[in-house]
Amino acid sequence: MAIDWRQYHCQDFYDELFEAPGQPREAARRVAEYLDDLTDAELAERRLAADLAIKVMGISFTVYSEGKNVDRAWPFDVIPRVIPRREWERTEAGLRQRVAALNHFIQDLYNERRIVRDKVFPESLLAESVNFRPQCVGTTPRNGVWAHICGSDLVRDRDGTLYVLEDNLRVPSGVSYMVENRMVMKRVFPELFENTTILPVDDYPAQLYDMLVAMSPRPLDQPNIVLLTPGIYNSAYFEHAWLAQQMGIELVEGSDLYVGDDDCCYMLTIYGPKRVDVIYRRIDDLFIDPEAFREDSVLGTPGLMRAWLRGNLALANAPGAGVADDKVVYAFVPKMIKYYLGEDPILPNVPSFLCMFEKDRAHVLANLDKLVVKPANESGGYGMLIGPRSTPEERNKFRDLILANPRNYMAQPTLSLSTAPTLMPDETVEPRHLDLRPFVLSRDPLRDRGSAYVTTGGLTRVAMVRGSLVVNSSQGGGAKDTWVVDTEADQAASGQWQSQTGGTG
Amino acid sequence: MLSRVADNLYWFGRYLQRAENTARLINVNSNLLLDLPRTITFGWEPLVQIVGADELFLEHYENDFSEPNVLRFLMLDERHHGSILSSLQLAREILRTVRDTAPREVWERLNDLHYFVQGRGEMVMSRTRRQDFLQRIVDSSVLVYGTLIGNMSRDVGFHVLQIGTHLEQADMTTRILDVRSTSLIDTGPKQDLAPFYNIQWMSVLRSLTAYQMYRRHVRARVNRSGVLRFLLQNREFPRSVMHCLGNIGASLPQLPQHRNVERTLWRVRAIVQDASIDRLVERGLSEFIDELQIGLGELHEALAQAYFRG
Repeated sequence: MAIDWRQYHCQDFYDELFEAPGQPREAARRVAEYLDDLTDAELAERRLAADLAIKVMGISFTVYSEGKNVDRAWPFDVIPRVIPRREWERTEAGLRQRVAALNHFIQDLYNERRIVRDKVFPESLLAESVNFRPQCVGTTPRNGVWAHICGSDLVRDRDGTLYVLEDNLRVPSGVSYMVENRMVMKRVFPELFENTTILPVDDYPAQLYDMLVAMSPRPLDQPNIVLLTPGIYNSAYFEHAWLAQQMGIELVEGSDLYVGDDDCCYMLTIYGPKRVDVIYRRIDDLFIDPEAFREDSVLGTPGLMRAWLRGNLALANAPGAGVADDKVVYAFVPKMIKYYLGEDPILPNVPSFLCMFEKDRAHVLANLDKLVVKPANESGGYGMLIGPRSTPEERNKFRDLILANPRNYMAQPTLSLSTAPTLMPDETVEPRHLDLRPFVLSRDPLRDRGSAYVTTGGLTRVAMVRGSLVVNSSQGGGAKDTWVVDTEADQAASGQWQSQTGGTG
Repeated sequence: MLSRVADNLYWFGRYLQRAENTARLINVNSNLLLDLPRTITFGWEPLVQIVGADELFLEHYENDFSEPNVLRFLMLDERHHGSILSSLQLAREILRTVRDTAPREVWERLNDLHYFVQGRGEMVMSRTRRQDFLQRIVDSSVLVYGTLIGNMSRDVGFHVLQIGTHLEQADMTTRILDVRSTSLIDTGPKQDLAPFYNIQWMSVLRSLTAYQMYRRHVRARVNRSGVLRFLLQNREFPRSVMHCLGNIGASLPQLPQHRNVERTLWRVRAIVQDASIDRLVERGLSEFIDELQIGLGELHEALAQAYFRG
């Protein structure tokens, strides 16, 4: 009957909600108590209500199956992930710092290249980057913002340290689910929101809209802002439609736009052509403009680059911003923070060893059985060596590969992703691994870091399969609502002032 | 409003109306076959002609206009873009792209209908369950349409959708008149046919849910010229060609002004209005319907040129 937290064993991982079986962390105490007061039948009923809400609200994602695109309901776990406000404030500051440094870096790379001249960032890496766009050299977008929208993936290791695993600077997705997850939770557990100070997340579309408006090249006029989608076959189409709807802007496809001889962008409407000022594009660089990039692209609009370079059109994110979202460049972010901001990074990188450096290489070769070795230019987990699970033959093979082409390899220690209790079909709870993707909106990162907006928490993705580390929704991943909880406000409200040393994990 | 979105809403209206009218057609033909004497065997072929897909049918089914073949072709065949299943599928794909324009409930109703036809389509092959099945399609289409009408703001998108809906209905009404009016004429000795002659015109009315309204308006027994006049020229019956054209005319002022669209609409209206029905009864009905359909085609082309191609 009901959840028994004493039976909840997190093994040797860091659990987001529990310090030990039966011992919730401070910020999670109320929700833990609330949940174990529910009977199995009540729990099942709430879960059903959540599933129904998701269906009725039409929250879905698209997967390909047998040549057709199928809308699938969003997999959702009703137990929230809870983060104490104090911890979140520090994380938020870390993200602001990081995104500011990344924008400095991209601006520098396409212009003066001080960081290369000062030998902090090796020129050879630039030449090999697949996301470097020569077309952007010499350009400065308005306010020097390249990565307007950044989604960084954070993971927590066994000892509780929160690391940045990667920065998504091209077309990061997931923010609509962050907001919708909260809507579902409010429908299903309204009581919890009455008794706990949970910081709201639904401001994002308004913040995004304001940021896009401020980018307009014609600041005095009412700007025309559109969201450019690859169309209904894209897995994030739901999000594109959702964001357009939330912001009240037009959802356009490449064929709805054209660039005139005046190098201005227009959209085709029943009233005739209408000038477009800002495009929030959800299409990768290489596909946005067949005139400048891939000629075979049918998703984009010829001439967008021309309009952008002439300053007649703003693009978010700017073309070429992806140069900073690359496995090897990632390893340099702590150095960028130091170089551009003169500060130590608040949020650590996962320690990375670049085989191009002799010292790192020696370390990697000596510890092949403990590390994860990744090729620099591959993504999606291809061509990797997972040390602890490898055979001696595999390690020998990688030793040869690394020695033959050290620049192409980097290595990281294997992380033990943190867990959180997740409701199973039989109304028991088990730990499941998760990560966190907060989103950062940059307005003026080079001069005023404080102008950035960071989502409250972010999207928590959870691997629904036992032991799995894959949180991707197309591969059995789901999501949880993410609560940033102000425990101090709660205590003040209930008149129980206690010592502030009370543990906030 | 984006040209592409306008184009999509227009076609959404058309596909929905097409699915509904095709179900009506099949239903009435099924009933009619029960009433007619066995010596008259016009069967199912006219239905394929009504929807103007003879060539496609011959390509896939050769010359076999058997009941199962025609039903499959009209209802479930995905190679036929006008089949009920295809129409619903196309309407669904469109709704997906204009998800931000139409109320969410419309999507849910349409989904229900689509899955119903997809999952239970084989029911139509059994005569005993056919009527229920077809009736459910008609009812569900009305529900989708009603959900739209009841919940959508009367903005420019709504009017574009209305234009598509009424243009398709005008088109289907003329098609139904065309084939029904020629199929039976020369099939047998006149005196044997007489009792069944009017049954056929009743079936035309029934296929458009027009029988009751006809009786109220016309107050005379059902006959050919009465039915033609009612379904072509009556200004009050929602499926009459004149009424549909009137609705299009009422929606046009909500769109940016376009001389060519208005001129074309006036020309088509004049064709209908000026037709001398009594003379059409004897000869020339087919030619008249052809002229009217060409007019509707031109109206579609004018709309596409003015609003959808940007």
